[in-house]
Amino acid sequence: MSLPGSPLRFVRSRRARVLVFLSVVGPGIITANVDNDATGVTGYALAGSQFGYDLLWVLIVTALCLGPIQEMVARMGTITGKGLSDLIRERFGVAPTVWVMGLLFLANAATTVAEFAGVAGAAQLLFPFAGGVARYVAIPIVAFIVWFLVLRGSFRGVERLMLILTTVFLGYIVSAALAHPDWGSVLRHTVVPTFHARPAFILIFITVVGTTITPWMAFFQQSNVSDKGLGPGDLRYERIDTYAGIVMLNLVAFFIIVATGATVFAHHVHVDPADPAAFDKIALALEPFAGGYATALFAIGLLNASLMGASILPLSTTYAITEAFGFERGIDKSFREAPAFLTIYTTMIVLGAGIAMFPGAPLALITNLPNIINGSLLPLLLPLLLILVNDRRIMGRYANGPLANVLGGVVLVVLSVVTVLFLASFVAPRLFGG
Amino acid sequence: MIFLSDFLNAEVVDLKQHRIGRVRDLIVLMSDPFPRVTGVVLKGNRRLRAIDWTVVRSWDNKELSLKLDESALQPHTRADSELWLSRQVLDKQIVDMDGRRVVRVNDLQLSQVEGTMLLVGVDIGGRGLMRRIGLEGMGRRASAALGLDWPQKLISWEAVDPVKSDVSSVKLRIAHTKLARLHPADIADIVHELGPEDRSAVFAALDDEKAADTLEEIDEPQMQASILERLDVDRASDILEAMAPDEAADLLADMPQERARQLLGKMEEDEAEDVEELLAYRQDTAGGLMTTAYVGVLHKLTAAQAIDRLRELEPDAESIFYCYVIDEEEHLLGVLSLRDLIVAKPETQIRDFMITKVVSVPLDAGPREVAEVISKYNLLAVPVVDQHNRIQGIVTVDDVMERVMPARVAGRRRRLF
Repeated sequence: MSLPGSPLRFVRSRRARVLVFLSVVGPGIITANVDNDATGVTGYALAGSQFGYDLLWVLIVTALCLGPIQEMVARMGTITGKGLSDLIRERFGVAPTVWVMGLLFLANAATTVAEFAGVAGAAQLLFPFAGGVARYVAIPIVAFIVWFLVLRGSFRGVERLMLILTTVFLGYIVSAALAHPDWGSVLRHTVVPTFHARPAFILIFITVVGTTITPWMAFFQQSNVSDKGLGPGDLRYERIDTYAGIVMLNLVAFFIIVATGATVFAHHVHVDPADPAAFDKIALALEPFAGGYATALFAIGLLNASLMGASILPLSTTYAITEAFGFERGIDKSFREAPAFLTIYTTMIVLGAGIAMFPGAPLALITNLPNIINGSLLPLLLPLLLILVNDRRIMGRYANGPLANVLGGVVLVVLSVVTVLFLASFVAPRLFGG
Repeated sequence: MIFLSDFLNAEVVDLKQHRIGRVRDLIVLMSDPFPRVTGVVLKGNRRLRAIDWTVVRSWDNKELSLKLDESALQPHTRADSELWLSRQVLDKQIVDMDGRRVVRVNDLQLSQVEGTMLLVGVDIGGRGLMRRIGLEGMGRRASAALGLDWPQKLISWEAVDPVKSDVSSVKLRIAHTKLARLHPADIADIVHELGPEDRSAVFAALDDEKAADTLEEIDEPQMQASILERLDVDRASDILEAMAPDEAADLLADMPQERARQLLGKMEEDEAEDVEELLAYRQDTAGGLMTTAYVGVLHKLTAAQAIDRLRELEPDAESIFYCYVIDEEEHLLGVLSLRDLIVAKPETQIRDFMITKVVSVPLDAGPREVAEVISKYNLLAVPVVDQHNRIQGIVTVDDVMERVMPARVAGRRRRLF
C-alpha cells in the first residue's frame, strides 16, 4: 500500500510520450497548419507577385483579428465540450442554423473546388509534357484517393503526414532570405499600411483576409478541442496553442509574400490570376532556394496543401452539418446507417472535383474565389459567436469579459468594413477607378 | 397532430380581443408517463411572463385566446419539477432509449387528452426540421407529387431520457434510471455522443458496477480519464475499485500523476495494491497487458476444495475458465480448466489431474508474442510469469487482441478530430 505521497513508478507511459507530442501540436497549431491550404498559399503568392510587399501589413491585421476569434471558439470547445454547430443549433434554433449551415456548405464547397484546382495546378507543373491533359487524370485519381482514404482507410496517419509535409513551405523562409530583399522596405511595409484604390488590389486584399480568417477554422478548431476532451484546467495551455498556431500561420504567409515580392514582383513578371500559366510564374519565387527544382518543390507543396484541404474541408463541413441536425454520423458507418453523412461528404468531393475539371477553368482564379466568399461570410458568423460566448448559461464564469468583447467588436467592425469595401468594388467598380 | 412549433410565436389574445404578446415557450410539469402542460410563457411589451395553462380558452396555429382580461391574469405558479420546453428541450440532445442513441429534438409532439395537454413524443425526423422553418407543407406536396411516402419520425416521450443540459435548476423525476437498464456497451456509445458535463451526469446516475463496466467499454483513454476527473474523488475511487485492475491501471496511467495518486490513496488497500503493481509495468509488455484478477489454487487441495475456493473468489467471467495451480510461493505448477474441476471426483487431489505443461509468457513479452501464443494454443488467457516461474497475472484474449488488431477492427467507434 502506498501513501498518497509515496513515489509510484509510473513506468507504463508509452502513451505519455505520445501525449507530450500531442500537447505540443494541439488543436490550434493543427488548425493553423490546415489553413495553409491551396487557397492560402496561392493567395499569399499572388499578393506578393502582384503587389510586392504592399500587403504585408495586412498580415498583422489578420493575425490580430484571427486571435480573438480562435481564442473564443477554443474556449467554448474547452468549456462546453461541444462543437460550434451544436451550440448554434441549441442556442438559436432551426432557422438560423439552416442559414449558417447552408452558407458554410457553400463557402466550403467553393474552397473544395479550389483545393482540386490546386491539384490540377500541381499536376500541370509536375507533368508539363502532359499539357492540359494532366488535370483530367490527376483530379479524378486524387478525388478517389481522398474519398477512399477518409471513409475506408486510416485517416489519422495520413493527416499527420500531411501536416508534416506543410513544412515544405518553410522553404519560402530560406528563399526569401536568399533573394536578398530590401529588409528595410519589408519592415516598413509591415508596419505602415499601403492602400491602392484599385479593384485588383482590393481583390487581393480581401483574398488575403479571407484565406487567413475563415469560418471553417472556427468550426474545425472547436470540434478538435472538444473531441480532445480538454477541460477548464487546460484553458491556459489551449490559449498558448491557439496563439502559437496563428503566429506560425502568419510567419509562413509573411515569408511567402516576401519571397514572391523579392523575385516575381521585383523582376516585373506580370501575374494574372486568370492566366493558366500563373502557377508557373508564382513558383519562380522558390528559385533562390531550390534553383532548378523550384517548380517541382512548389508543385509538391501545392499538391500536399491541396490534398490536405480536399480531405479535411469536406469532412469537417459534413461533421458540422450532421452535428447541427442530429443526423447519424461517423466515418465507419455504412450508407444505410448514415445516409446523410455519406451523401453530403460524397457530394462535396464530386462537386469539387467536377467543377475543377471543367474545361478551361482558370485555376488560379478558382483557387482564389472562395477566399472572397469566406471573407464575406465571417461578418455574419461573428455576431452569433459573440452571443454564444457571452451567454452565461452556456459558458458560466468563462463567458467573455469586457476586454474580449471590445476585441470581438473591433474584429467585427474591421471584417464588416472589408466586406462592404469588396461589395462596393464589385457593384460600383468605377469608384475605385476600375 | 399538435406540435410545440404550432404554439411558438402564436399571437396571444385576451378576452377583450387585445393582443397582449406572443408565445415564447410552454411549461410542462414532469409526471408519469407523460408530462402535462401547465403554463405558457409569453412576451409582450418587451416583457417575458408566464401564465397558467388553465386560462387558455382555445387556440389555433396563429392565435391563443385567453379566458380572462389582461388585467386579471395571474403569474404562473411555479412547481418543482418543471421544464421549459423550448428553452430546455427543443433543439437539445436526448437519449432515445429504444434506438439506444443520442438524437436531436427537432420538435415536440403534444396531445390533448381529456382537457389537458400532454407532451407525448419527440420529433427527430426531417419533417420536424422542415416544420420549424415553415416548409413542411411544401415538402409534403413535393413528396406527394413524386408519389413518395414522407413519414414522421417520432419517438414516444416514455422512451426518452432527457440528458441534463441546462436543467440544473430542475430536478427531473425520471432521472437517469432508465439509462442504467441498458447494456454497458450501449451506454458507452451514448456517452460518446455527449458533452463532458452530460457525460458526468450520466455517470453520476449509474451504480459503481455499471459505471465501471461502462468505463471499460469506452475505449478512448483520454475520454475515460476526463470522465473520472470530473467526478469527486470518493466516487471515482469506488468506480476504479469495481473495474478490472488492468483497466484501472491503464486509466490511471493516463491521468495526471497527482490525481492518480490521490485516487489510489482512496481505494481499498487490496485493490490499490493490485493496480499499483500493474502500473509498474510498461504498457506494451505482457506485464502491462495483464490483469492480476486470476484464479490461483494451492496444489494441496482436492477438486471439491478447489471449487469451494472458486466460490469464495467469485472470479469475473473472463478469468473463470482456467484455474492455475500454484505452490505456497506462487510458483506455477499446472493448470485446470473449469470443466476438469467439475467432472473430477470431488475427493481427488488436483495435482493428480492437472495439466503440468503450462504455456506461459514472460513479463516482458510483447503484445504480438502474447497474441501468437494465445492463438497457437487456442487459449482464452495465458499466465504471465517472472523469471522464477512465479505467476504474476494473466493476459486474456480480448485484452491482447485490442492491442494487436488494427484499430478499425478492435475499436468500434472511430472519430476523426
